[in-house]
Amino acid sequence: MESRVLKPVLAVYVVLFILFLYGPFFVLGILSFQQGPEGGPQFPIIEWSTYWYRHIFGLTPPSRVAPLPLGESLFRSLTLAFMTMVTSTVLGVMSAQAFRKKFTGSGLVFYLIVLGMMVPGVLTGLGTSLLANNILGIERHWWSTAFVTHVVYTFPFAFLVMLAILNRFDGSVEEAAWSLGVSPWKTFRKVTFPLIFPGVLSAMLFAFTLSYDEFSRTLFASGRDQTLPLAIYGTFSVEIHPNVFAFGVLTTVFSFALLSVYAILMSLSVRRAKKIAMQEDIV
Amino acid sequence: MAEESAIFRLEGVTKTYGGVTALRDVSLSVSGNEYISLLGPSGSGKSTLLRVIAGFETPDRGRVFFNGRDITNIPAHERGIGFVFQNFALFPHLTVYDNVAFGLANGEKQVSRDEIDRRVREAIGLVGLAGMEGRGVHQISGGQKQRVALARTLVMAPSLVLLDEPLGALDANLRNRMRNELRSIRETLGVTFLHVTGSETEALAMGDRVVVLDRGRIAQFAKPDDVYAKPATPNVAHFLNRYNVFDGTLKDKTFTGPFGSLAVSATTPSDKSAYAVRYDRMQVEPDGSKGSGPAIPATFVASEYLGSSVMYFFETAEGKVIEVEHHLSLGAPKTYEPKSRYMLRWKPDDAIVFG
Repeated sequence: MESRVLKPVLAVYVVLFILFLYGPFFVLGILSFQQGPEGGPQFPIIEWSTYWYRHIFGLTPPSRVAPLPLGESLFRSLTLAFMTMVTSTVLGVMSAQAFRKKFTGSGLVFYLIVLGMMVPGVLTGLGTSLLANNILGIERHWWSTAFVTHVVYTFPFAFLVMLAILNRFDGSVEEAAWSLGVSPWKTFRKVTFPLIFPGVLSAMLFAFTLSYDEFSRTLFASGRDQTLPLAIYGTFSVEIHPNVFAFGVLTTVFSFALLSVYAILMSLSVRRAKKIAMQEDIV
Repeated sequence: MAEESAIFRLEGVTKTYGGVTALRDVSLSVSGNEYISLLGPSGSGKSTLLRVIAGFETPDRGRVFFNGRDITNIPAHERGIGFVFQNFALFPHLTVYDNVAFGLANGEKQVSRDEIDRRVREAIGLVGLAGMEGRGVHQISGGQKQRVALARTLVMAPSLVLLDEPLGALDANLRNRMRNELRSIRETLGVTFLHVTGSETEALAMGDRVVVLDRGRIAQFAKPDDVYAKPATPNVAHFLNRYNVFDGTLKDKTFTGPFGSLAVSATTPSDKSAYAVRYDRMQVEPDGSKGSGPAIPATFVASEYLGSSVMYFFETAEGKVIEVEHHLSLGAPKTYEPKSRYMLRWKPDDAIVFG
């Protein structure tokens, strides 16, 4: 009886959820094909064109719309996201590994780590910049102070992902390796790491994407040279043009391409394993 | 036993987990080339004992010796003691071949590729898995998995292999086959097996000698027929699942239990008084029969056909269940009337009196 009411309600909820999730992206996607340079970021579409895509790559004749300051800021953001990803993932794996055994103060350490993602970003950013300027007396850079705030922010995510993975991990395979005379470090490399690798990959993705579009912490902590989100925000403050939308679409397509390559590789390896099994059954 | 010939020896090993004592002052000495089975109910500390010997756990007190060397503080990977897990613990990302080759290929000692290949194929052949080398461990059955686990351990040529309920995850049919195979593999290689099990039949069938653990202590360490015929404590008699154990008091060579007071001649020293009679040493007589010897009245509940014998279940006035086993070689099974009273009688010499 209950489900007769509950089910339609939940269905409507799910539809609304998906609408709000993908709606903005569809609107941006459509608007990115607006005519340029006169067409603005609103409906109706005057004429379908790829003008703003060409504009991003500097393939359009000069106009009153300044090109997006992408080149250097994109490089900085990618580099910073990569550095953050590597550092946070290594830290996350190591600390989650440490938490497999209860140690004195483990509860406190857990909350101290997780605090990094709880504290408002503006506070962390502002605090870091004050600490660097007034107390340590060092210059702020995207690769130093901003990098630290990014690690503080993304490390808890990597840590929690790895904690969940290691929670389900059956430690007896490690003990089996030890009893075969294999050292703990080699056991980690040859047994533990390959088995938790899907988790490590998720932790890396988390750290990378969180760092790549991090705004509030970077705003105060990055100093003179801006990262991509800051640079794009800088152009907003004057006027918004559909070139930002076009860039958003390109970024999304790029992400999907990466995920597709990952999915293809995964399914290939699964299929190979199945093929081997079938051959042996025939033999 | 001379201590020099002992392959491993425990001295006063004690281990506590958060206030619960898993092992209390355990001392044990085992010589080479022996099949030892370690019997104990769950919670008796038998797995902990195995993990202490393997080096997965450090004892709170006591020493562990292996091949004459004190290994108490030596990490597991430097001990050279094999371990076979109940859940197999195979490396899921590797093939059968790579699972077996793992220890040789990744150990501290360099082993040539040719030698690894030779030894791996030999071990795989020994456990009867030739031809399965290239399979993933998800593509083989439970029994085959346990063979891989065994081959993986034996390929390292350990002189001691610890088996933690290795047959527990297999179905009954397979379990019986693997029993024989484990014994013959061990005899071929001449290594010492320490096999932990919660099954009394498995412990008695497989061990050259049986260790019985009771609440973290060794209650008995003897040959299977000795354990079976002369359990050292009332609890050992209980674990064997072959004895009706009656509580009572022993005073001045008189045991007072649910069947009244009996004069007893020989007693087995124990900290608890009890009176044990084997299932197959009890006779069922009609109610009110005036035979000689001790007897207890009981109500028939049910019977269970076991193939070569039949088990009869009776209940005493106090609600205690008494089991009587009738071997079919001694005659056709009898039928008893449910809820009727019978007299269960035994010879005084067949009883074991603890106290």
